[in-house]
Amino acid sequence: MRFVLIPVLAACALLGQSGAPDTDSADEQQASDLNVNSRYTIESINFVDQREYKLSTSALEEIRRLIGAKVSTEALDSLAQRIRAELRAHEVTFKIARGEAPEAVRVLIHVDRAAGVVDASVPKLIYNSLQGFSGVGEVAATAGPNALTVRMLRDSDTLIERYSGIQARYDRLELAGGRIRLGFEFDAYEDQYDASTLAAIGSASRPSSLGAGAYGSRLNYEPSATFVLAEPLTFTTGLSFEQLNSIPTAARPVSANAVINTLRYHQRWLDAGGNKQELDAGYSLRAATTALASGLKYTRHLAQARYLYSRDAQSVEVNLVAGAIFGQAPLFERFALGDSVMLLGWNKYNLDPVGGNRLAYASVKYGYHIMRVFYDAGSVWDQASPAAVKQSVGVGVSGGLGVFEKGAFLLAVAFPLRQGQVTPVVIAGMNF
Amino acid sequence: MALLLSMELGAMSVSTQGLVPHQASGELRVTDPALHFLTGKSLALLHDGAAVPFDFQLTVASGSKTNVVARSLERFMVSYDVWEEKFSVVRVRDFRKSGMRLSASSAEAWCLENIFVPTGALPAGQLWAHLEIRSVESKEPLAAGSGINLATLIEIFSRPSRPEQDHWSVESAPFQLVSLKQ
Repeated sequence: MRFVLIPVLAACALLGQSGAPDTDSADEQQASDLNVNSRYTIESINFVDQREYKLSTSALEEIRRLIGAKVSTEALDSLAQRIRAELRAHEVTFKIARGEAPEAVRVLIHVDRAAGVVDASVPKLIYNSLQGFSGVGEVAATAGPNALTVRMLRDSDTLIERYSGIQARYDRLELAGGRIRLGFEFDAYEDQYDASTLAAIGSASRPSSLGAGAYGSRLNYEPSATFVLAEPLTFTTGLSFEQLNSIPTAARPVSANAVINTLRYHQRWLDAGGNKQELDAGYSLRAATTALASGLKYTRHLAQARYLYSRDAQSVEVNLVAGAIFGQAPLFERFALGDSVMLLGWNKYNLDPVGGNRLAYASVKYGYHIMRVFYDAGSVWDQASPAAVKQSVGVGVSGGLGVFEKGAFLLAVAFPLRQGQVTPVVIAGMNF
Repeated sequence: MALLLSMELGAMSVSTQGLVPHQASGELRVTDPALHFLTGKSLALLHDGAAVPFDFQLTVASGSKTNVVARSLERFMVSYDVWEEKFSVVRVRDFRKSGMRLSASSAEAWCLENIFVPTGALPAGQLWAHLEIRSVESKEPLAAGSGINLATLIEIFSRPSRPEQDHWSVESAPFQLVSLKQ
């Protein structure tokens, strides 16, 4: 369904029905939208298939503007054309459905990529003056309900290990009317370590909760299914067969085969006063079990919540993350802080060179136009050790990048709060 | 050709009972309780919250069915209130003329009530009324700039409907103006 604007009928005479009404401004306003649903307020705009499409920041801003406004077929049609152009889709259509609040409606966007699209992009590029560069290059091909994504990546930021390699993922979209999505992912990484990590692994004080030593590479085979339980709540379940190849190649590989489950909720609200709110919450559980012939046995819990409130040019964002690992988990599962997202400004290897099995983190970010100031606090520790809370503050700018505006950029300087010294850390990146 | 013909027939719905003409206040109107055009693809679009335009052409022929002596053209914009689950219709030529909170059959009847030909233009003798309705495809280029006008509607009805376009055609039995109920 594509919305069509039917403008005011021009003055005409229809075989004996002469004359047309004079249109004043009120009439024009009335005539601008002949859809009875134009009296309702848009409560949310979401994609039907729950995919995370990459849209420009200006398109996202257009969506934000529409949320909270009255339904306008002209505006929605314009947005559809824009999304269609950006995604190079065959067709983009809308549905309007009842909202949760009275007199409010949800707009559901359906992207038809039946014609087949191949898209190349750089979904992530980060420079951290402590960790160096991390980046991801992606080629995504879509044909009808089938999507194939291949990523080349180098990541020295998110995990304790530095890994580079390839991710290949196939998704079968839109099963059961878009309520089920099946996927299969294959990952192959080469791993490298900071000297402090290797030293900690080899030392007598190596944590007993560390499930394997350093490995030179790892392979992952991961089938999964995502169910839309009740929009916008989704549940993903699957299996992860991870093989860790030890650095001495003669040694036997270690397996970390796990059941994976993720519950995710993502919702946006906008009231008549222009107050915008967004909540993104998730809980994931990875349970490696001998029932899957796993050499390591552990469970990993991670809960995350992000709340954003904005009005006009100002915004406040709160992030909360908590995690716990029980059993002996390998390095890639262990928690780290002090990267380019959490506890900015700290060096993760100084905090814990082998990561921890407990994590608690909170941050508050205030934004005014493109300016950002933030405060981070968190701790990563091992169950047997006391938690030490670390804090940091920072300032930065964030926004679009003209023709590269598909991803927001961030340039920030973060200061870890500790006694005796102030060492600023510079973080620059795209598509955080 | 055979395929095109079968698609054409498949897209066209013809009421079996036929139009019933009425005369009131110097205007000839028609009714047909058996005619339902809020169906199928158009109805699905309406339930999805879209506004769906329908083009109507009412013609009256005299002497023979091909001798058209009067014609009226209208575009009606139908939409479906997702909260009240009722239909709304606006006559696009004059958007002050609208029907609100209607059932599907009432919305269909409202459209028929709001297209007419003046009886003063009709000759005495045997007459036939013919009504044609077409749904407007969303991809169809609608009148640009100043909006839909008479010329556009005439052009629309001067060419055959496309296979993918829903359309309906219904005729009256022969009648005489003087024999119609006032």
